[in-house]
Amino acid sequence: MKSPGFRIAALLLAVAAAGLVAGVGLVAAAGSEAPGTYSAEPVRSRLEFYGKQAGAEFQGVFHRFTAVIEFSPDALATAHFDVQIDLGSLDSQDNDRDSTMRSADIFDIGHFPTAHYVTRGFTKTAAGFRALGALTLRGVTKDVPVDFQFAATPGGAKLDGTASLNRLDFGVGQGDWKSTESVDNAVRVKFSLALAPKP
Amino acid sequence: MPIQTSKSRYGALAQAFHWIIAALIVAQFVLGRTAVGLPSGAEKLKLLARHKSIGMTVLMLAILRLLWRLANPPPPLPLGMTSGERNLARATHGAFYGLLFAMPLTGWLMSSAKKYSVSWFGLFTWPDLIGKNEAAFNFLRATHDALSGVLLAIAVLHIAAALKHHFWDKDDVLLRMLPFTKPKKSP
Repeated sequence: MKSPGFRIAALLLAVAAAGLVAGVGLVAAAGSEAPGTYSAEPVRSRLEFYGKQAGAEFQGVFHRFTAVIEFSPDALATAHFDVQIDLGSLDSQDNDRDSTMRSADIFDIGHFPTAHYVTRGFTKTAAGFRALGALTLRGVTKDVPVDFQFAATPGGAKLDGTASLNRLDFGVGQGDWKSTESVDNAVRVKFSLALAPKP
Repeated sequence: MPIQTSKSRYGALAQAFHWIIAALIVAQFVLGRTAVGLPSGAEKLKLLARHKSIGMTVLMLAILRLLWRLANPPPPLPLGMTSGERNLARATHGAFYGLLFAMPLTGWLMSSAKKYSVSWFGLFTWPDLIGKNEAAFNFLRATHDALSGVLLAIAVLHIAAALKHHFWDKDDVLLRMLPFTKPKKSP
């Protein structure tokens, strides 16, 4: 025969246990909703561009860029990308082509040394995610969607994606270089970022 | 005119190869020399892109032409030629065939070494033959340029010889490569 005091203590204990479980659950849920903040590791990250000149594709990379990525697959509303690209660091494996691209008629890095990409929102897609954001390049700001996949890795995350844009929307190509007969308007960008938690 | 080469006359296909390739090589000289004189820029790249497309066309035609020639040997040289003349004619024709391959191949290698891949009139891109190599590019460019001088020299010799055969020797060496003419009897 149990005393009423024992029953009350058991009830209180049960309530406390349930509260504890719920509380831990809520904290855990809250934890998964907060986006992780990362930055791209320069050595293991790659930012490539692909253009077409007279029908033949050429390829290059930007050696220097910074990417601050706030992202969690469960919390798209609070996700945010901020990417700065040092245009002078471009490398298409040919010095003549590189200096042409840095010149006033193309990127004009003397006046516009960096490109900047900032997101405004995200959507889920069949293959992964789509960032809606604005690219500022050569003094022109225009929306460019970026499609990407995000995967958590031990100690960080991996972000792989692509974007397509028209160079002439940004005035990349003045004078003779406006002609799409020599260089196609469409340019592809491809990236693979190794993300480390931002301190 | 028969398609195939006979004992007295080049056939229609051999003539077509000869004259189409000759016209393309003239175009190549004009495009190549004009592009070299231009400052780097879109115009220069446009001319070079055409030069590369035509060059690859010449390479493909040269392969077909050589195969056709192996199956259809050219008519024999006129009997009146001295052995020195025969050797010079054979050497000139051999050099032409060598250059029909060497010019496009050095050009293709050059483009590969500089990472300017070769497109065929924008329809498709040929694979790069070698990786990025600035030293190889410089050597290949010098070779391509020197060979173009050799090609020009033997083209002048070839034309002079054809005219000499026609007007001096009065044989059928020129006529048997000309369409729309009747072959005359070999002396």
